Order: sequence, then structure tokens, then C-alpha cells
Amino acid sequence: MAGKQSLSFALEPRGTLSFDDYLADCAWSPDGRQLAVAGGEGNIGLASVSDTLALRNIGTHLLGTLAVAWQPRAQCFATSGQDGAIALWDAAAGTQLKRWKPAVAATQALAWSPDGQLLATAAGKVVSLWSASGDKVHAFAPAASTAVALAFDRPGSDIGVALNGEIAVHRVEKSRYETRRYKWPGACLTVNFSGNGRFLASGMADGSLHFWNRSTGKDSQMRGYDGKVQLVGWSDNSRYLASSAGNEVVLWDFSGRGPEGTKPIVLSGHTDRVDSFHWQPGGEHLVTGGRDWRLSLWRPAKAGQPVDVQMVDAEISAVRWSPDGKRVAVGEKQGRLTVFDLVAR
Amino acid sequence: MSVTPSRVPVTVLTGFLGSGKTTLLNRILSEKHGKRIAVIENEFGEVGVDSELVIGAEEELFETNNGCICCTVRGDLIRILGQLMKRRDRFDYILIETTGMADPGPVAQTFFLDDELKNQFQLDAIVTMVDAKHFEQHVDELNEPAEQVAFADLVLLNKTDLVDDAALARIESRIRGINGTARIHRTRNADVPIDKVLNVGAFDLNRALVVDEAFLEPEYPFEWGGVYQLAAGDHLLKTAGEHDHHSHDHEHHDHDHDHGHDGGGHEGHSHEDLDLVVLPVASASAAALSDAIEPAVRAFAEPATVVPCHGALDEMPAHYAIDVSHPGADFRLKITRPGAYALFCEHHPAEFGLHLHGAKPAAERKFASHHHQDDISSIGISDPRPLDPAKLNQWLDYLLKTRGQDIFRMKGVLNVKGEDRRQVFHGVHMMFDAQAERPWGQAPRVNRLVFIGRGLDRAELEAGFESAVAKS
Repeated sequence: MAGKQSLSFALEPRGTLSFDDYLADCAWSPDGRQLAVAGGEGNIGLASVSDTLALRNIGTHLLGTLAVAWQPRAQCFATSGQDGAIALWDAAAGTQLKRWKPAVAATQALAWSPDGQLLATAAGKVVSLWSASGDKVHAFAPAASTAVALAFDRPGSDIGVALNGEIAVHRVEKSRYETRRYKWPGACLTVNFSGNGRFLASGMADGSLHFWNRSTGKDSQMRGYDGKVQLVGWSDNSRYLASSAGNEVVLWDFSGRGPEGTKPIVLSGHTDRVDSFHWQPGGEHLVTGGRDWRLSLWRPAKAGQPVDVQMVDAEISAVRWSPDGKRVAVGEKQGRLTVFDLVAR
Repeated sequence: MSVTPSRVPVTVLTGFLGSGKTTLLNRILSEKHGKRIAVIENEFGEVGVDSELVIGAEEELFETNNGCICCTVRGDLIRILGQLMKRRDRFDYILIETTGMADPGPVAQTFFLDDELKNQFQLDAIVTMVDAKHFEQHVDELNEPAEQVAFADLVLLNKTDLVDDAALARIESRIRGINGTARIHRTRNADVPIDKVLNVGAFDLNRALVVDEAFLEPEYPFEWGGVYQLAAGDHLLKTAGEHDHHSHDHEHHDHDHDHGHDGGGHEGHSHEDLDLVVLPVASASAAALSDAIEPAVRAFAEPATVVPCHGALDEMPAHYAIDVSHPGADFRLKITRPGAYALFCEHHPAEFGLHLHGAKPAAERKFASHHHQDDISSIGISDPRPLDPAKLNQWLDYLLKTRGQDIFRMKGVLNVKGEDRRQVFHGVHMMFDAQAERPWGQAPRVNRLVFIGRGLDRAELEAGFESAVAKS
């Protein structure tokens, strides 16, 4: 073969596991050897995905799990459920460490601080901070509306909360809980800090995507989505903002002068709604999972076609890259969990 | 390679405090009906629509012995519905109860507005529970009872054991005056079979649109007509109840005002009259009854002769206003020539237990209620002429903008020029879903539309319809 060849990648299935529930979400351990799995009917599973593949149920949240998040730098993960409880799990022993009910409202969102020292929870209008052992550190004053999503920024000094009509950003550095509000009329469904800290984005219920420049405060609105923009995520290098409201994923390029006035990159290929996507940590790939049973691997530079497509056996509910960016966990609504390796071809 | 399951049907249950909804819900959550039903008690009728995500302090969810679940949601209905779908085997039905005084409109509209919900759920019917014992009192005092009836596809008239038949007939008539298209089931202790409440299919545009034909008729000044074969002599016309002669005060004999009844209540009267027309007909048959309609309408237009209790109706054809203030009132219908006679009543005689002693009608029929005691009413339009699609859109658009809030329900099957298939639409507060249904084929092409709302003007709606008719 003459000339330079650019490397191309593909996803190769490594193995599948059966989870006795609708696989609502999953979270990787920092070392990439385990996966915590959250079920829609309430089961909580722990899978080992290193040399051998095995999954077992380790507990439940009555009538449904709402969120799962793995503690950074630790072998522990948190779950919350429809039963109103939050639980902490020891992933080495596969046992529950603690379970408590902070409020009567169920905890809809969980987020660990990047250093693993704080767990933020959103239950109804109240956002709370807990220590790694589940002791209450702080509760913010109730917001005017339900907190539907939470995210820490990359340094972990701020936490953003998606509310109706605004994103509230609370400073948590050295326990200074000052709040800055980014207001926009409409229900904010997601909160997404770019890795470089410069931008804050939110997918809106009115079918638009909104973002703010954090230093200037200037905001922009991107319209034209098919419906509620529930999936939003920044590429690892902060260059691309991916968003989706239907069968397509729209990428906005923040390099140069930014995306205002430009045409986005549109990833077309799914024949039914995209229910999950995730950017590769430390890389440039995006995986998307759809109701069309299709798993697609994309690179923004080659956006016309997916780099690879794999079919699974049911609608995909969750796709998650391992922390090292070498594997993808794919969960299905009927309970199958497939781990794919990223391979060069 | 996408599997699209059918959508889960959703029933919205509404009704006034104490109407018996809880009894129905308890039955659903405990009886062994073999269905998996999720019951959602949505307090305050608030939903997480675009502009408002509300949540209250409590959310409780529990599973019952018969495989159903019950969830109290004081807040984000959209979120809880999404969560309920995260299961491998789905629920057969969802039933959402809007509590107390809540207007079912916003809850129902959510299923048209929210793209995720539209995908997974199908609004099946709005069911309103009515407390027969208190309805008449409540509907006079407050707006909500009439509104809840206006929204309904199915009305469960409950606690029928607590009121008499005349009251039930009156209440039903009042309900039909508000909502001409809802089906009414009489129940006691909410004992309706569960599969009459679930999977009604009222919003299923693929099911034939069932609209009571009588409702689409022109409005007559009477609600009931019957024909009798009568011998010569005096016939007793009686209302139900015991008549107490001793308490019978005769002051009302001084009333001699002109009963030019044109609907509405009996303001200014200290007694209650029932208008009726009696006229001779060719035979005691349904055909003769139909032929008598036109003459009866003309007779109703004439001034009425007031007939007091024990009075006589002795000239025919004539328009009478009989005094039914007292129970067990009676009147003498004087027949000189034996033969067939038609009797047309302003209200359904059952409302007063009115009957001709010793005679049964050989044929009878009901007519759509025209008495709108409430400012909410139903207006039907029936017309065969094809509609111009562009002008139709223009009219509906205009209607949405100007009267959207006042229109609670809107349904129709349309004959659109250039379309081989019936165009069916159905809406709640002007959020509506429309689609082409099966082809007309050999069936006669007729437009049938119904509007249920507050302060609606028939002339205005008819003019709007006229503007949409295609010019040939």
C-alpha cells in the first residue's frame, strides 16, 4: 500500500451480560474493571468486566432506580431510587455501605465532585452536599422549581443545577456557597460545563440549546431541534458540543470564533431516536445508541458517515466509555449489557 | 430494525370532591381484574409541561397485591410517566386522577404537547365522575363541575341510589345540555365494570367517531315526543308524587303572564311550568310522530295557555304551560274525537314523572336538549358539502386564536375536497390531533363536528364553517 493511511477504528464486542431489569444507566469504576448497573424496575447490579465478564444483583431501590454515579478515586458508587433513598455501595465487597432517605421527594440526580470528596444530590427543589461517608455537609436553600440535573465543573469548585428558567451555579470551593444565576425563560433540562471552564450549556424543553460564556456572561440560543433537547455533552477537549432531540445528533464547533452563525455538523444515520451518547474520554470519538438498536461510532472530522456501526438486540438505553477511552459499555432496554473494545483496523 | 410497540392508553379521571373517584380507584387497585394498571393521583392537576416543572414535598409510590401500582404525584407528571416506562414489561393502562377541583384540561393536553409522552402514551378518554346527590347544587354554585362534564368522553353518574328517577333524568338532561357527546353510565358505589372505563378509545382516531345522531339534529323547542291512541273523554295527565290538597295554596292562579318560552330558567316565576303541545295525528305510529314535528314547532311558537293544577287541556292543536310546581299535580286532557294524538314536551317527561294515566305511547322519541342553563354548551354541525383544505385550516387557526380557551373539546369527521379518506380530528382546548382515517367508499360524505365550550355562539361557528366550504 502506497502513501499514508489514517487510522480507522471499530467497535468489537467483547462479551455480553444479562441484567434482570431494564438497563437504565451504568457507571464505570475508575480502573475500568467494574460497572455499576442501575435498573428501571429497581435492581442494582455490579459487573466485573476485566478478564472475565460477570454480573450480579447486589440490591434494589423499590420501584425504580433514578441515578447511579461512581465515586472518583474510589471503589464505591452511589445510587438513588424511586423509594426516596440514596445508597452507597462497596464495589470490592459488593455490599451496601449506607442507605438513607434525605427527603420525601425522590433524588433524581447525583454527581460526585471530581476529587470524590463530595456527593451532590437533587431531590425536588433541594440540592444537598454529602461527605463520602454519607454525612450531610450542606443543603442549599430550596429553589423555586425542581432541580432536574446536576454537574460539577472540571476543577470541582462549582456545581451547576438545571432549573426552570435558569441554571444556578453554586460555588463549593472551601465551603463558600455563593450562587450565580444564568437565566433564560424556559425549562433547563441539562447542565454541562465545558472542560476548559469557558462555557456552560443547557438543553431546553422548548426545543433549543442554550449556552453562556462564563467570563463575559453573553449567551446564545441554538434552535431547530425536533423536540426537547435532553442529551447534551462536551467533547473532552471542549471543542465540540453534542446535542440531540431526535434521530440526529447535532455538533456545534466552538473553535475559532465559536458556533454562532455557523452550520452545525449533523450526525445522521439513526432511524429512530438517539437515547444515549457519550464522548470518549481523552479522545475524539462519540458513541451514540438508538431506539433503532444501532450503536454508532463517530468522529467529528469524518461526520458524513459513522466510523463504525454495530447492531445489538434491542433498543439501547445507555452508552458509556470506560475512563481510559478504550471500551464502551452498551445497555439495552431488555437488560443486555455488551462491552465493546475500540480496535484499530 | 426498530420495534414500535403500541402506545399505552391513558385515562384521565376527574370529578368533584366526594363524587366517588376514590371508590373507583380502590376497586382498580384491589380487584382481580388481571390488568397491570398504574394509578397516578396527581394532586393539584399540575404537570411538568414546557414552562413549568413543579414538584411538591411528597411523592409516594406503592405496589398493590393485584400487580398494580399507585403513585401520588404532587408535581412532575411527565417525569413519573417517563420513569414508569423504564420497565421491560409495560403497564396495560395508566389512570391519572386529577384531584378535587382540578381542571383535567392541562393534564390531557400534556399528551398532545410533550413529544416524549406522545410517543409512548395514547390519551384514551377523559372520564368524569358526578355525584348525583350534589351535582345540581354544585353546578349552580361553581364553574368546575360543568367544566369537568364538558371535558368528558364518559360521565359516571354515581350515587344513583341517593336520588329519585326524576332527579336522575334532570341531571342527565343537564349533563347533555353541557356535553352533547359524552356517554353517561349510571352507577352506585362506582360499580361500573372496569373495562367500560379503560380502553374506551375516545381519542383513537382509528375508531369510528361515535356521535349521538340526535345531538347533531337541529334544535327543537321540545325534548320529547310521543303518540297515543286515545278514546274520547277525559284523560288524566299526572306528575309523580303524592299530592297534598291541604297544602295546596291557590295564589298562583293569579299568574296570567304570557309563556313565550324561549329557553333558560324560570326567572321571576314563583312556580314551575312545563311547556307542552298536543295535536291530532294521522296514526299512532313513529312516522306520524315525525310528521308532527313541524306542526309542533309552529305550535310552540304560539303563546302558551297556562294550565293550573287540576286544570284542563281542551283545545287542539295547542301550546300549554302546565303548572308542575307541586308533586302529584294532575291535569285533564279532554279528547272529543277518538284517535291518535301526539304530545310534545319541553323537557323529558321522566324529569317530572309525567305520564298519561292508563295510556302508553305507541311510539316516542327524544330530541337534543336545547335548554342551556349553563354557559357551557355543545354545538354540533352536520353538513355534506366538501371543505376547502386551505380555508379549513384558516378557520380552525382563527378559532384557536380567538376562542381556544373557551373551547374545551372539539371533535369531528370532515369531508375535505380532494381527499378520499375521512379526515378525523379530536382535541382538548384546541390542542388537537388530526389524521386521515379510512376511505369514505360508498358511504355518504358528511361533515360532522362538535364543539363543547363556554359562551359559544352557534351562528359564529356556522359562519366559520361556511367560510371553509369549497366553492365548486
